[in-house]
Amino acid sequence: MRRLSHLLLLSAFCAASLSVAAAPSEPRRFENARLEVRLMPRTPEQIAAFYIGRKFPEDMVAELRARCFITVGIRNKSDDIVWLDLAQWRFADPAGALERYDRDYWKRRWEAMGAPLPAQSTFRWTLLPEELDFRPGEAEGGNIILPRRPGPYVVEALFPTGAERTGEPIRVRFEPLTCAE
Amino acid sequence: MSRLLHSVFLFVCLGQAAAAEPPPGIIEVPGTPAPSFELPDLDGAPFRLEERPGHWTFVHFWASWCGPCRREMPALQRLSAHLQDSTLELVLINTAEDEDTIWTFLADVAPELETLMDRTGEVTEAWQPRGLPATYLVDPDGRIQYQALGGRPWDEPAYRRFLSGLLQEPPPER
Repeated sequence: MRRLSHLLLLSAFCAASLSVAAAPSEPRRFENARLEVRLMPRTPEQIAAFYIGRKFPEDMVAELRARCFITVGIRNKSDDIVWLDLAQWRFADPAGALERYDRDYWKRRWEAMGAPLPAQSTFRWTLLPEELDFRPGEAEGGNIILPRRPGPYVVEALFPTGAERTGEPIRVRFEPLTCAE
Repeated sequence: MSRLLHSVFLFVCLGQAAAAEPPPGIIEVPGTPAPSFELPDLDGAPFRLEERPGHWTFVHFWASWCGPCRREMPALQRLSAHLQDSTLELVLINTAEDEDTIWTFLADVAPELETLMDRTGEVTEAWQPRGLPATYLVDPDGRIQYQALGGRPWDEPAYRRFLSGLLQEPPPER
């Protein structure tokens, strides 16, 4: 039973995988000839289960389950480089623009809390990279973390293309999104 | 006769070029020095990369919670079996997990494999992987020459041929 639970947990929350397990929220998907993007909102219970399973301290888990987690999977289907650059993503809800909790925020937060280094490291690996040049065929993923609000959210993502970012960019808009409960 | 020799020469050259071509998902990188590290294995014995010069090293970062890592691990175990008489050294590095987690995972998924433990995750971050899993091919001079994008079917013929080819050629000059 324990192994079954472990496998379910892995399936439900594999930050580096594009595969999507059964979950309360349906994944949102964009796909064209050059790019595939999938967004999966995560419930507080999924978040807590994953990080408790990784032996995170209670105070770290409490911090995390209070936020809105969206697991993002990205696959470059083109023959060119596609850039992930989270600085070029915009998040908003009816009250206006939303600020994403980025790596620097969490680094400061964990250091202030005295969080264990292994947990800090594992946490960083579950985040979507701030910037990455997706090579042809490459797939990577990770979480973006937003304030937990009723929503609905709008996510606008701009993907520059080409080695020098001079190719035709790919624009993706997800709307409406809600935090999974 | 000279045309025949020329054709044979071209055939041999093209054949060698084809053999050296990296399989899908393996990219050449600029030959930067591999970050040094000293990490313990599951028995506590230390391993230092710079103490293993003179042969290619397959450095692989992984974590048990990473789905692609789990899927790739059996292929690494089969590759390991093929490498037994090879000079290519397979070095697995677990990222920021404890002994119990690693033991349980490997016993279940790839019991023949051994791993080093990067308990704090600092060594992994020094290598700046694009994600997990991450594999680097380090040449006999200690330089990273190739990087794999995500998990790869390492035991498939194209990958095994590529790895075998590395051992028969001098490292690329950059």
